[in-house]
Amino acid sequence: MTSAPAPLLAIRGLRAAYGKIEALKGVDVEINAGEIVAMIGANGAGKSTLMMTIFGKPRARAGQILYEGRDITDVPTHEIAHLRIAQSPEGRRIFPRMSVAENLQMGADATECTDAEREATLERVFTLFPRLKERYVQRGGTLSGGEQQMLAIGRALMSRPRLLLLDEPSLGLAPLIARQIFDAIRTLNRQDGLTVLIVEQNANHALKLAHRGYVMVNGLITLAGTGAELLQRPEIRAAYLEGGRHG
Amino acid sequence: MTATPHKTSNASRTAGIPFLLKTAFINAAIALVLFSLMVGIRTEAGSDGQLTYWTRFGDLAALVGAVFGGSIVIELLRQWIGPTGAEKLVPPAVQSGISFIGRYLAPALLIFTLLVPVIFYNQRYILDLAILVLTYVMLGWGLNVVVGLAGLLDLGYVAFYAVGAYSYGLLATSFGWSFWVCLPLAGILAAFWGVLLGFPVLRLRGDYLAIVTLAFGEIIRLVIINWQELTGGPNGVSGIPRPSFFGIPLDNSDDGLAAKLGIEYSPTHRIVFLFYLILALALLTNWVTIRLRRLPIGRAWEALREDEVACRALGINTTTTKLTAFATGAMFGGFAGAFFATRQGFISPESFTFQESALVLAIVVLGGMGSQLGVALAALTMIGGFELFRSLENYRMLVFGMAMVLIMIWRPRGIIGHRAPTVYLTKAQAISSDLVKEGHG
Repeated sequence: MTSAPAPLLAIRGLRAAYGKIEALKGVDVEINAGEIVAMIGANGAGKSTLMMTIFGKPRARAGQILYEGRDITDVPTHEIAHLRIAQSPEGRRIFPRMSVAENLQMGADATECTDAEREATLERVFTLFPRLKERYVQRGGTLSGGEQQMLAIGRALMSRPRLLLLDEPSLGLAPLIARQIFDAIRTLNRQDGLTVLIVEQNANHALKLAHRGYVMVNGLITLAGTGAELLQRPEIRAAYLEGGRHG
Repeated sequence: MTATPHKTSNASRTAGIPFLLKTAFINAAIALVLFSLMVGIRTEAGSDGQLTYWTRFGDLAALVGAVFGGSIVIELLRQWIGPTGAEKLVPPAVQSGISFIGRYLAPALLIFTLLVPVIFYNQRYILDLAILVLTYVMLGWGLNVVVGLAGLLDLGYVAFYAVGAYSYGLLATSFGWSFWVCLPLAGILAAFWGVLLGFPVLRLRGDYLAIVTLAFGEIIRLVIINWQELTGGPNGVSGIPRPSFFGIPLDNSDDGLAAKLGIEYSPTHRIVFLFYLILALALLTNWVTIRLRRLPIGRAWEALREDEVACRALGINTTTTKLTAFATGAMFGGFAGAFFATRQGFISPESFTFQESALVLAIVVLGGMGSQLGVALAALTMIGGFELFRSLENYRMLVFGMAMVLIMIWRPRGIIGHRAPTVYLTKAQAISSDLVKEGHG
């Protein structure tokens, strides 16, 4: 969309910890506008922490998070969403007793948008995930896992983000449903110019989808490259693809 | 092999006869063992203090026989209306009847409530009871904002009731301010205390929050007892002025409302006025809650109840959301307190014990958290029930305990567990086009 030379999101030397346990030990990541960037790594590598730290929970101990050139390291969590960064958190975390409609509305509530804009975004979400339109009046908790993931992404989209952070969108989904989700992410990126950071254990899918990828091990970035490059690396194949559960 | 489900269920019923007898025998055997000593042998201290006993095998046999017969009856009932008969139990006609009642229950109740002073004009007792019920309906609706919508378990709600009551009591007796000036002040002061309570408990949830709010309720009560110079301590505040009809007193004087209207004075006028006053306050609470639920803040409360982490990720300021929930709930508690003070004319710390908090919380939980109609029905049942069983004295708490346990077994989400959604596809579009037309978009 924009031809700004600086990356949309730049993370420099980011450190974060839960008490004494350091989860991020100096992470550098750059995401350019219009890109899909995949972050892969094993359980407990710090991928989700990175995503949460961008949102200020936990707070960064050191380092910088620059968004559109602005330092957002110390911006309060609830204000991050106003900067048009949206998140679909790990485990979906939809509101189970509220209807699909209300869940989606919650995504739009925190951002200042006109009703016409909101309606347009809603239509867009329905085009991507027609199932949500069918389930509009149902309670969120009664949806299937895949539908809940669609709802979590749809809810994030309702805030009309420029940058979408997706944490494990394929977690616990049947391969066919996971493919639908990845297809929707690709469509969003190609047609709407949405920039996406996707955290995944499903390295194969994520790297095929992404323009670029990072590999995180024990709170550090150990490898970076284009998605295709990373897919060919023998150490990636050994660690995350061949013999892996998701291969 | 070709048996229809109906036939198989019949078959299982007939095949159940040996099973039936077996169960009954086992139950009778257990009863025999239990009752042989409890009932079969009667012991007593004899005239010289020695132990005397005699047998009552006739009674024992009757009891065991009753258990045998009873377990057959229960087992038969279970088979007839149990799992296979679940649908037969509620025929479609009854079901549609229930949904019909559900649709018109709230308006019908409202109309009936409006007519209560007309119907029961000469029955002071019923009017007083109705006022009491409405006070608890209002308290329940107020607490519903905190517990039902925002999901913050508050065991100290009575503190705000007390703050409201003392605010009005003290302002009216010290400065002679009228009820209508003090009412908003009482609400504001209670809301202020709600925010004060909110700050330390921002990080707490569930059990921990419940403990702190419980302590808060007690602190307020103890402060009221011990701050003698201001609150009068255990003696309370007396001589609290009665409410006026917008400046016109409701008494037997020449300036009184009755004299001005040219009708004969009756003390019932004041009771009727109080009735409509609390009804208006309760309906205000209800209306505000319903409105707020459709606004972003109300949705944020409900979302907060569901998932705090997701709320933060969606850009909701959980701090202000929690504080507004506490403040809103507390404000309604304060209004109810001010009403309580003006109705009683006398307040003392004894009216604001933990039991009141527990009662209001029970009303909210039994009614169905988040359901306005459910809370109103629960208040009616609880408070009305208390009065109804007053003659039973010792047994009424027993009955209430039983009723609560049974409701929680059958309807774990409360009498009305249904939650009406607030966002609709067509409605949302209609509203949006209206707003755009008027230039609000």
